[in-house]
Amino acid sequence: MSKVYTWDQLFSRRQFIKGSVAAGVLGTAAGIGLFRPESNLGQGKSDQAAVKGTKLVTTICEQCVWRCGVIARVEDGVVKMLEGNPDHPNNLGKLCPRGNAGIETLYSPDRIKFPLIRAGARGSGLWRRASWDEALSYTAEQMKKIKDKYGAKAMMFNSTDNLSQPFFEILLKAYGTPNYGTQRSLCFNSMTTGFLYTYGTPQPGTDFSKCKYMIFTGRNLAEGISNSETQEMIEMVARGVKVVVLDPRFSKTASKATEWLPVRPGTDSAFFLAMINVIIKEKLYNEAFVNQYTQGFEDLVTEVKDYTPEWAEKKCEIPATAIRRIALDFAEAAPAAIAHPNWRTSNFVNSFQTERAIAVLNALMGNWAQPGGLIPDQELSTLKLGVLSHPAFPIAQGIRLDGVPWQYPMVPLAYGVIQTMRDNILTGKPYEAKGWLISRQNPVLSIPERQKTINALMKLDFVAVIDIQASDTAYYADVILPESYYLERFDGLIPIKNKIFIRQPVVEPLYDTKSSLMIYKELADKLGLGEFLPFKDEKDLLSQQLKPFAVDLEELQRVGHYEMEDFQEDHSKDFEFQTSSGKIEISSGIMAQMGKKAVPTWNEPPRPEKDQYYLLTGKTAQHTQMFTQNNRWLLEVFPENRAWLHTSVAAKIGVKMNDNVVLESEVGKVSVKAYVTEGIRPDCIFMVGGFGHVSKGLKAAYGLGASDSALHKTITDPISGGSALSETFVTVSKA
Amino acid sequence: MTVRMGFVIITSRCIDCDACMVACRSENDVPLGHTRNWVKSSGVQGQFPRVSEMFQPGNCMHCDNPPCVSVCPTGASQKRSDGIVIVEDKKCIGCKYCLTACPYDARFSNSETGKADKCTLCLHRLEQGLEPACVQTCLGKSRQAGDLNDPSSVVSRLIAQYPTRILLKEVGTGPNIYYIDEAVPDIPDGK
Repeated sequence: MSKVYTWDQLFSRRQFIKGSVAAGVLGTAAGIGLFRPESNLGQGKSDQAAVKGTKLVTTICEQCVWRCGVIARVEDGVVKMLEGNPDHPNNLGKLCPRGNAGIETLYSPDRIKFPLIRAGARGSGLWRRASWDEALSYTAEQMKKIKDKYGAKAMMFNSTDNLSQPFFEILLKAYGTPNYGTQRSLCFNSMTTGFLYTYGTPQPGTDFSKCKYMIFTGRNLAEGISNSETQEMIEMVARGVKVVVLDPRFSKTASKATEWLPVRPGTDSAFFLAMINVIIKEKLYNEAFVNQYTQGFEDLVTEVKDYTPEWAEKKCEIPATAIRRIALDFAEAAPAAIAHPNWRTSNFVNSFQTERAIAVLNALMGNWAQPGGLIPDQELSTLKLGVLSHPAFPIAQGIRLDGVPWQYPMVPLAYGVIQTMRDNILTGKPYEAKGWLISRQNPVLSIPERQKTINALMKLDFVAVIDIQASDTAYYADVILPESYYLERFDGLIPIKNKIFIRQPVVEPLYDTKSSLMIYKELADKLGLGEFLPFKDEKDLLSQQLKPFAVDLEELQRVGHYEMEDFQEDHSKDFEFQTSSGKIEISSGIMAQMGKKAVPTWNEPPRPEKDQYYLLTGKTAQHTQMFTQNNRWLLEVFPENRAWLHTSVAAKIGVKMNDNVVLESEVGKVSVKAYVTEGIRPDCIFMVGGFGHVSKGLKAAYGLGASDSALHKTITDPISGGSALSETFVTVSKA
Repeated sequence: MTVRMGFVIITSRCIDCDACMVACRSENDVPLGHTRNWVKSSGVQGQFPRVSEMFQPGNCMHCDNPPCVSVCPTGASQKRSDGIVIVEDKKCIGCKYCLTACPYDARFSNSETGKADKCTLCLHRLEQGLEPACVQTCLGKSRQAGDLNDPSSVVSRLIAQYPTRILLKEVGTGPNIYYIDEAVPDIPDGK
């Protein structure tokens, strides 16, 4: 029996140095955390000779989900610098702070360095080291036991956007469970469903380059960095384009905009319905486009008749004169005018209606596939990778725990409603869940009501987590399968238009870790499902993906991308809308079928009681969701989250900048530092998400800031499945 | 004409993402707890809802009359002929006079070496024909560096085209970071 370790022992630097991967420390102990993996040098891969000296390796960043091109400079086997790849369209040679900080995550002393099996009560923090064979066999045995006793449906699979996700999906389908959890219902379900049921495509692009008028509502590109889109936004601002930002908080995007409108939370749809009212009344819509490509215009005319700017002002607190002026100017700029589909507009039950109103406003302008307007789905103009051939999947038995579609008929299966899955683990309805396999996702910190998620994990028979670090969810697992960091591994290839990009190891794995591709494959083997992931190793898989193209893997690895010449973009289906009517549905066929109002409409959102505040959450440019707070380079530039309070609120409760305040909602209470500012509505409190980690394995991040998930109530939009995070209200007091 | 290296920083293009700070830390092995460059915020100015905020990146100004050089007792702090102010580690005795002399607070005492430390304009990168790390990574192209004496450089072209300001003009250091606050739609081509 191997030794039992606590988290502290496992992740102390002493343990790290003593660990089985013999590693020397480069620089002094107080240094920047760069470790030279001496024992690993020169093993395995082809270019052993290149260990001494400097080499450049092209790969794809994974500090967030945007997939930027990276060129890594490796000196004597140590990654010294990451720079943006100028040939990559997602970042055009630039890296954001998170991308620049990848090296610190790679060499972090808090990496999980070998497989771990729980050696005390769940959540006790006691572990023992296991071999890969033991950890994978143990995981497979538990999964088989659950399947034999309760059926495959009792096992849940969770993963988040990543390049190997398609192979995770193959594993779960081969296993035969219907229960698949993504992070989407915590993010932008209302945007994707709103556009899906209007245009038949969930996420149309936006042509910033020719746009003359942009309205952002919950797309904060200066702080929620999507590298290339953020660059496009900066260029647009520099060109002097009119940029209007609706946000209850003065975000950094708002500081760059030509106009900031501090809208009352949850009332954005009143603003857009009033814009539509003005545009129809003044006959400023594109009549020819509306006649040819849309359905339901007459119903819209009737619906918005009373949604005047004066009506909207009472709801959203944006002056009627401003709404009217913006409507007229926006229409004047059309079709080079965009009401951006946004991202995090999705925080109220009525956000689906907000997104529908935005989708319809764009349609009235006829900006579809026009310069400066919305861009149709690019799928037809994107190279198709070779696929693995495998047996037919078994038919998944049983309904889904997350209520899709039996409780949420309009939510696409691929999105799911993860907060309902969590709730139904606790209720045991419609059946008991028994096991959870979670790949690089952190539901403890992402789903509202953190304590409930911890309780759900405690209730299960078996929890396995695949991650690069000891996330809060890994802390409650039975087995942790350590994934190699992105700089150490391959993932599935990614085509972007006529180019194919590769993520590949920049250095050999520093520790006893594997790529998720191999973890999924070897787990499938142990489950007797190996024929569903028929590849020998990563290179074999990637070669199969490359089969349709005139390039071999070695060449792709060397160059970093493959470009198909003479590739013709296919726009023949730009105006074929994948809706039930084949048109842009101003009046939604599916909403009508469901017996709901088919055109965008107004639903009154809840408001805080006296002495309560809206709790708003959002991003910062320096961190990614719950993933990067342990990165010390990023903590240097964003050390902790704080509660934004309006100056008048701070004065009322006697709080100054950086004093501690207590925020309390119906479901939780946290203490956090105050950030006192004039840049927020006096009825709102804002905090960046992702802090307040409970895992003691995240030594740098543990104890910093507070988690919004400890405060958020679980409220779900029955149409989109979106988690209505901003319907949580809090009180605030001096700590 | 002699080379005079310096920066132009376009504040209107800065979103305060701090990529420049992380890139500098990475490129120059800057120890935790210190930084060679920064992005300062004006803080939210004005009263809700009529507010504004401005972001101002900075680092060593590579001054024409650098007080850090004149106070250095050993000659470790030097102004090179190309205008770049450097610290010659071998000569630095860690007395920290230069830290207090710098009106821009651009220097720190390196906790690993005990020496004065600061922006080198990524001299080692310039020698390889590369841009400084902070300039290379900047999403907004807010940071630009080059020869201020060369009329065909990006920095000179920007200075010729837009009004600029320098920081603490009154102290007479002759700083070589020129700030542009106006919108700059196109970054000119140049060396």
